[in-house]
Amino acid sequence: MPATSLYPRGTVKKIVKAHANRGLSRNADILIFLNYLVFMEELLKESSIASKQAGERGISARSVRKVREGCLMKFKG
Amino acid sequence: MSESARKKQRVSPNDSNHADHTLHSDLRHLSNLIPKPVTPFRRAISASAATPATHRTPNNIPIRTPGTAARTPRGATSLRAAGQGRRAAPTTPHAIRALRERANAARTPGRRRSGRVQRETPRDILRALSRTLAKDTVPADPSPEVPSRSSALDLADVDDGPDPVRPRLSMPLDDMYDDDSIHEPPPRESLLPDLPDDVDTGTLQSLEFGRRAYSEDPRAQFTARLSERFGDLNELGLDGEEFEVDGMFINRRRTLDPDRLLQEAIEEALDEDAQDVSGLGGLGLGQGEEVDEPTFRFTIPARIRREEREDQPPLDNHEDLENQNENEDEGSDEAGADAQLTLHNEDHEDEDIIEPLNNNTDWESDQDAQPEDPSLVAYREEPSAIDRSLLAHSPSPHPNAPQNRRQRKALHISRSGHEYPSFPAAVVKRIATGMVAKSQGTGKGKINKETLAVLVQTTDWFFEQVSEDLAAYAGHAGRKVVEEQDVVCLMKRQRQISANTTAFSLAQKMLPRELLQELRMQPVSAKGRRQKRKRMEAIQEEEDEDG
Repeated sequence: MPATSLYPRGTVKKIVKAHANRGLSRNADILIFLNYLVFMEELLKESSIASKQAGERGISARSVRKVREGCLMKFKG
Repeated sequence: MSESARKKQRVSPNDSNHADHTLHSDLRHLSNLIPKPVTPFRRAISASAATPATHRTPNNIPIRTPGTAARTPRGATSLRAAGQGRRAAPTTPHAIRALRERANAARTPGRRRSGRVQRETPRDILRALSRTLAKDTVPADPSPEVPSRSSALDLADVDDGPDPVRPRLSMPLDDMYDDDSIHEPPPRESLLPDLPDDVDTGTLQSLEFGRRAYSEDPRAQFTARLSERFGDLNELGLDGEEFEVDGMFINRRRTLDPDRLLQEAIEEALDEDAQDVSGLGGLGLGQGEEVDEPTFRFTIPARIRREEREDQPPLDNHEDLENQNENEDEGSDEAGADAQLTLHNEDHEDEDIIEPLNNNTDWESDQDAQPEDPSLVAYREEPSAIDRSLLAHSPSPHPNAPQNRRQRKALHISRSGHEYPSFPAAVVKRIATGMVAKSQGTGKGKINKETLAVLVQTTDWFFEQVSEDLAAYAGHAGRKVVEEQDVVCLMKRQRQISANTTAFSLAQKMLPRELLQELRMQPVSAKGRRQKRKRMEAIQEEEDEDG
């Protein structure tokens, strides 16, 4: 279990509502958050690979910057 | 039984078939049995000697001598001669003489050669002479002969030495730039060389740029997503010097003044339509001080808005600095904010940094051709004047700015004009550390502050992208509400959900149990989706009106 407690549902709803200019159905935000978790997993995996290739310890901001564009493109519907 | 009878017939036909046989019939039968002389005489003799069983063969079978002896006449004759030599003495005188000569040859081993009388050859004479002259010499035993080699093999003997270096068959592309070859391009500096500030470099700093006007930038006609401008945002926080472009010239100046950045953000928020700010001269015409600085320009996204904030001249006192640090901690998720933050922290730790900073701003104002008071300069040169210059003489860029506004929270504004909060960094940190710890197996995943800032920024971009996609799906379906099926469709398009990975299995893997239970209740409501839609729309519209 990556997330042991609940996430800020209201915040997610607000963010999505503001961007989409549409409302959200009742459980859609859970699925969106699920999608976000998958995205974060992918992003962290990629950036850990990138930082290992660069010989850094842990995950550096530079590696995240390097891979995030590709990850966002991958999660574009 | 029948077979044996047939055999019997064949072997002794006269006994069984011809009961009353006369002498004539016996003779005829015998003549039938005796082979007809179809083969020549000599051959018949050898054949009869070699194969006595031919007498029994029936007459319809032609007589054939077995083996190769009959086929090769020489072999047959030798066979016959051997047989003759053994059996009978030669009768003809020629044969008698020949036999005698052969026997003589066999008895004398030295002259064995073909039995004929040897004529004396010069070689024989020489051999006889050598026997008489050198009796004791043993014939030289020749050394064992080395098998003859071809010349090509002899050449290959070179290989017995140490192995030569293998030739390289590929182009040495990696080493190509290491050596000092004449093909190496001359070094070109991407930035201008370090020059003293007072050097008149009117022509040196001229640059040539692309001729396309900024308003005709093809990227501008597409949607201006925040996530599409990684470069702009990342370049905001430069440390050290920056070069700014003024027409055809570039001027060197120090990094962004954080207060101007904040001020800029405020004015930007007031000026809603402008997305890219090219200069303060264009924006703050009403404010007298900023008009004097036409060279200050940078780009900032329009959607960063700081509602309440406190504007301070940057170096007034440390309390304000701390306040500003707080502000930026809370609010900004730009990359530029990080740079400002570090700048301020340095100011806190080390007073010495402040002095060059002040001089830099002075230098900037020098560029703006504001005459500086020489006594003031001399006053600032004094070492004890650092603090005083901090308090009194630092040229604050906007002294008339409102002082007592304080920013609590950063609200971003989406493209549709709605405000939205940033995704909380604590949640991002919790998720990220959990995931890193899980991927590493044991131990705690550590995310440092800078990485966390980048992750939060990426999170915001992700939600923006996902929301716009979801809005597009819902709009395509003619709905005003983003439903679960839109998200499922999105995840299908992201290849996160496939035939053997449903959204529910993914949720089971990733989500905590409470959320899973909420999702589990979803199919119940999904049955009556058609009926519920109208009601949901009504609710949503109410909510939109509220927001």
